[in-house]
This record gives sequence, structure tokens and C-alpha cells, in this order.
Amino acid sequence: MKLLLIEDEKELAESIRSYLKGNSFICEWVNNLKNAIDKISIYEYDCILLDLMLPDGNGFEILKELKRQNKIEGVIIISAKETLDTRIEGFNLGADDYLTKPFHLSELLVRIQALIRRKNFKGNNLVAYNEIEIDIRSKTVKVKSKKIDITKKEIDLLLYLIGNENKVLSKSAIAEHLSGDMADMLDNHDFVYAHIKNLKNKLKDAGCSDYIKTVYGLGYKWQND
Amino acid sequence: MTKKLLHKTSRAYLIFAVLILIIAAPLFYFLTEKLYIDDADEALILRKNEFLQFSIAQLKEADISIWNKFNRDIKIIVAKPLQKDTIFYSYYYDTLNSENEPYRELNLPVSIEGKPYTYSARINLVETEDLMKSIALLFLIIISLLLVGLLIINKRLSQNLWKPFYETLQKIEQFEIDKSNQPKLTNTNIEEFNRLNQSIEKLIERNTSIYHSQREFIENAAHELQTPLAVFQAKIDTLIQSAEFTEQQNQILSSLNDSVSRLNRLNKNLLLLSKIENDNYNEKQTISLYEAIEKHLDFFTEQAKAKNLIIKTELNETVSTNSNPVLTEILISNLFLNAIRHNISDGQIVVILSSNSLTFSNTGQPQPLVADKLFNRFAKSNPSEQGNGLGLAIIKKIADLNNWKITYSFADNFHSFSVAF
Repeated sequence: MKLLLIEDEKELAESIRSYLKGNSFICEWVNNLKNAIDKISIYEYDCILLDLMLPDGNGFEILKELKRQNKIEGVIIISAKETLDTRIEGFNLGADDYLTKPFHLSELLVRIQALIRRKNFKGNNLVAYNEIEIDIRSKTVKVKSKKIDITKKEIDLLLYLIGNENKVLSKSAIAEHLSGDMADMLDNHDFVYAHIKNLKNKLKDAGCSDYIKTVYGLGYKWQND
Repeated sequence: MTKKLLHKTSRAYLIFAVLILIIAAPLFYFLTEKLYIDDADEALILRKNEFLQFSIAQLKEADISIWNKFNRDIKIIVAKPLQKDTIFYSYYYDTLNSENEPYRELNLPVSIEGKPYTYSARINLVETEDLMKSIALLFLIIISLLLVGLLIINKRLSQNLWKPFYETLQKIEQFEIDKSNQPKLTNTNIEEFNRLNQSIEKLIERNTSIYHSQREFIENAAHELQTPLAVFQAKIDTLIQSAEFTEQQNQILSSLNDSVSRLNRLNKNLLLLSKIENDNYNEKQTISLYEAIEKHLDFFTEQAKAKNLIIKTELNETVSTNSNPVLTEILISNLFLNAIRHNISDGQIVVILSSNSLTFSNTGQPQPLVADKLFNRFAKSNPSEQGNGLGLAIIKKIADLNNWKITYSFADNFHSFSVAF
């Protein structure tokens, strides 16, 4: 999978690239509008990560350029600027998702995966991991071809964990992911433990291997060993 | 007790007028009386001189009785032991009016055909009582005229002269620095009021611009913090992937993580406050409060589990408001969060939605909170608490924006926040 990261903050760009590298993504990075337009004119990408405030102009120019060139790349806006207006303008110009800085890298990763799935499989998408099969559209999970009883939130958690395979996920990152829009309202992250425990038990009861590892004091990790 | 400006001036005028009149009345009386007596004395002396010059030489002793018969006021009487002229008061009985009348009388020793007589001339004076009565009446009329005049003039003044002042006053009273309705003060033809208006306009302008730049500062600062916070977060996320850490190191990383997400929330709340102040959420629509509460009930029930709280709801399903949907949700969420955050383990939360108010009551510390600074930014009752001190400020801001009234009360160990709309 090939990504283009358009971001002028070097430190942030490096972190994003190093995080994504481990998950079979090739991530190219440009730090201004001009180079970005050059890149999108020449190459095809599976996904573009776009910062809006660039040194030589507004990131919306990229969206306009993509439209002009009839490109169908998926675009996730990553911006510190967050008003309803910029969001709406972004979506109107063809962006697929909007992630406000600061964000967890794990969150960015699952958003990219979700976007690519939507683009490539036209909404009819399945995520499979060894004996686990997740049908995102019908919101069902099968373990060893047998449907298990699972809540929407647990499916969300499962996708998040699988998407971030081999990554350590802090409790706060998981909590914020599960809370969605309400993440700003979080007061403590203790509820994560209950969700992980429930998911673990459900998978175990269905005869699934124990992929969810606890990283003591820090969080959890999805790992196949 | 404060009084209106005009009452004060009228009162001062009235007191002064009455005082002057009270002092002036006796003065006026004495002065009038003195003038009158002087005049009477002068007349007496004139008559005396005329008598001495023209009459006395021709007057025979035999004529005295005739003289006395036809002169009511100048009589020649039997000699009194007098050396020279004397002028004095005297009273004579007036047979017609049957009362004593005051007189001024001049006695003078004269000699008629060598025999000593006394010349006695008198002038009837106005009665003191009458004089006082007339003066009192006169003054009463003057006072009444003055009072009526002053009141009328003052009323006119209030309507005309002070009109621009009251207009200015009214506009300043309506002025709110966080609303963009800068008052337009009208020019008047009175210099002082123009100066007042100009100074007020300058003052308002300066304050508004300071307020705006401060507001901008908060917004810019919060915006500028987003990027370093994003880097901070990304670096921690990267760091925790890089190697196996000891449990102790994990805990350090975990608390770093918690801090950065707290910083993040704080920053977002500051931004939210700025946005509310900048009127970014001015779109309004009809919102079912019941649905807005139900929507997030699961989330907060989950959050409340950590403290083992019981949430009870009494929701009127038909209540709706005309307000901004985003802000209304934020208001409800913050009220929920507040009730959870400041609760005790195994406590309770009661949410009551009635037709005109929404009340969140929760158990918590056994003393009531200090109410006066409760809704200020960063006004924490307990500095070590988890909250960022902006929740209630946001609630207040949203309530104010919608002209809702938010009140805090404490009863039966329940802290209640009630929004009346």
C-alpha cells in the first residue's frame, strides 16, 4: 500500500512514517503544497494524508487538484484546525475522513485501513485474521466459521486491535478510539479493561487463540505468537 | 437608599428656598415695620414743624377747644411735665371698631399765650398682627409659586436636559462586552454629555479591543499548542513500540500518556470556549432534549461504572428546545461528566427533565460548594481533582448563550445543577 503524507511538521511526519512502516505501508512524505502537487500528478496512491496548513498554501488546493485531474485517491485530512466549516468544506471538496490533531497513531492507522477497505471493496468488506472473520457491513464476527455473539463496540475494538497488530496500544488510545466523538469527555480509562476482558472471553469461548496480550502498566497488544 | 439625580437637585433647591424664606420672613417683617414707623415719625415731625411754623402763632387759648374738636389727630392738651419732644407708642380705643388701635404719638411742650400746653399728634399704625399675617400670606404664596415652579422646571429638565444622559445610561446598561453590540451613543448639543459619550465610547472601544485580543490570544494559543501536542502524542505512541520496557518504565509512559491526553482535552475545551465566544455555533434548530440525553446515556453509564454509580432518570419525552445541537449535546455531556466526576463511590445521579428545566443531581462531598466562583474558568473546589476546571464554565457559557438560567443548590446531600429554559 502506498501512502502520501503531506505534512510540514517534520517530527510528526517521522513518527507517522515509522509507525506505518511496520504495517506494510510505503509512506512518502512531502512538506509543502508544490511538491505534493508534483507527486500526485505523477504517482497513484492508495491514500493521502493531508495537513491543511502548509507553508506555501492551504491543503484544500490538493483536493481541488485531485478533482481537476479526476483522481480517486482517498484523502484523510489531518489538521489542527477544527471547525465545522473546515470539516464541511473538506468533505465537500472530496476528503474522505477528518482527523483532528493531536491523534493517536493507532487511530490514524485504523482510519487508513478503513478508508482503503471502503475504496477497494466498495463497502462489501471482510476482515480476516487467521480463524477470525469480521463482516464490517453486517456487523458480524465468525470464529472458525461460527458466528459469535458480540456487541458493536467489541467489533470496533477487535478491528482496532487487529488493525494495529504487533503495536502496543495504550489504554488512553483505546479509550479514545472507543469513545469516538465523546473522547473529549473521558474522565478515566478504566472502562477499557472491562471491554478487553469481555472480548477476550468471547474469543476464548469460541476457541480462538489468545491474541490479546497485556502490556503491564501500559496497555494491550494484538500479537500472534 | 439611592435617589434619582433630579430628586437630589430638586431637594437641594427646595431646602434652600424654604431656608431663605424662613430667614427672610422676620427680617422682612422688622424692616417693613421700621420703615413704616420711620415714615410715621417723619410725618409727625413734619406736622409738628408745620404747627410750630404756621399754626401756633395764631392760636389763642380760647381756640383750643375748637382746635381739638376738629382735629382728630393733633390735639392741644393740658401740659404734661415734658422738657422736649417725645415720640412713643400708644393705644387708643377705637369706638367704631371696638378694639385697641396702635398709634405713634408725638408729644411736645408748647406755650400758648404764655401758658404751657402739650402738643400731641398721633398717627394710626397698621396692627402688628395684620402686618405679620399679610407677610406670612405673601411668603406662603411665594413659596408655593417657587415649589410649583421648581417642580415644573425640574420635570422639564429631566425630559430635555437630562434626556441624552439617560439615553447613554440605558445604552451602557444594555452593553455586554462579549456580545458584538457596541452601543452607538448619539451626539447632543450639551458639551458635557458629548464629552461623557466620547469618553464612554473610547472606553468601550478600548475594552472591547482588549477583550477581543485576549480572546484571540486564547484561541491562537490553543491552536498553536495543537501541533506540539500532536508531536508529543505521536512520539509517545512511537516510543512505546520501540522496545521492551520494564513495568516501572511502562508506568511512567502510561502516566505521560494520560497527561498528554489530559492536556489535549484541556486544550480542546479552551478552544471550544473560544469558539462559543466567537459565535461559531449560532445555528439553531429544534432539539429533543430527551433524545439528546438518551443518545449519550450509554456512554456515561459506562463511565459511571468505574465508581459504581447508579443513574436514575426521570425524563419528559416531549421537551424540546431551540438551540444549537452541538452545544446542547456538550451542555448535557458536561453536566453528566460533572455529576460523575464529583461523585463518591456507590453514589447516585438523578437526571430530571421537566417541561422547563433540566436538573442533574449527584451525591458527593457532604458540604455545599462555594457558589459564587463555581462557574469561573479553572475555579476548582479541590485543586487535586481530575477535572480541567472548564466544564462548568462551558456549561455556563452555553446556558448564557441560550438565555437559560443555570443554578446550583445543595440539599439532602445532593448537589444539583439546574438549567431553566
